[in-house]
Amino acid sequence: MQVVTENEINWPAALRASDSADQAAAVSELRGLLHAGLRVALNGRSDVSEAHLEDFAQESLLRVLDRLDQFQGRSKFTTWAQAIALNVAFTELRRKRWQDVSLDALMADGERITEPTMIADDAFGADEDRTHLVKVLRSAIENDLTPKQRAAIMGELREMPFDQIVELLGTSRSAAYKMLHDARRALKQRLLEAGITGADIQNAF
Amino acid sequence: MKPEDKRLTSEQVGSIVKMLSLTRDREFNCGECLQHVSEFAECQLANKPVGEIIASVEQHLALCPECREEYEALMKILKAGQ
Repeated sequence: MQVVTENEINWPAALRASDSADQAAAVSELRGLLHAGLRVALNGRSDVSEAHLEDFAQESLLRVLDRLDQFQGRSKFTTWAQAIALNVAFTELRRKRWQDVSLDALMADGERITEPTMIADDAFGADEDRTHLVKVLRSAIENDLTPKQRAAIMGELREMPFDQIVELLGTSRSAAYKMLHDARRALKQRLLEAGITGADIQNAF
Repeated sequence: MKPEDKRLTSEQVGSIVKMLSLTRDREFNCGECLQHVSEFAECQLANKPVGEIIASVEQHLALCPECREEYEALMKILKAGQ
């Protein structure tokens, strides 16, 4: 099966062709490529049916056409389009898996991380340096993070999809990513202030 | 529920620590990663060195399991097409 073709044609031009027959042919060919790629990528998943593949291919096609102006030619067009198709498909599959989780549950989970029992002193064994790291980390989570930051971190630890965290927090993807990034930077800064270096962190494993 | 049942596993605590070790002041977010991941994947497939910008993709993939899952699926497609 040939899933990704060499970039022999100028896809953006073909997809914008003024001749409606040429444009329709390019759109149809791209849809076929996206469908074939999704079939390879999602092969073996019990939660993906033929109908899902059709829906994902169609939704991906629309997304790619909508973002044509963002293609900068640094990779093959088909690779760029497949990346978008996979993002569409996996986002939807993750959303279905986590759709019943509520913000209240996520916030409660996030608050629980501050409970003394949540992170055991001996999480990395009885080594004194590691125990110190865990204590500083636990204190930083409790004192330096906002409730939403704690909730977002707990969501990540529970392997909740980022899009689901974004939706539950009622914010944008960029705002949620900044929230998490700021949280990680705050925790890292606290560790550094406690004399725990990057090397110490890596040696904790 | 017993208190110990509520504990984070050592793997989860390790995940926090690993996230901190990988944290940089300037990082790609998921949208920026998606914009550049196709170039990164093609470099990886061809064993070509990655430039400074798309090296940020690698750092983001190390932190973001969802983008990593999509990248691995993309590599599966590219390898199937070889």
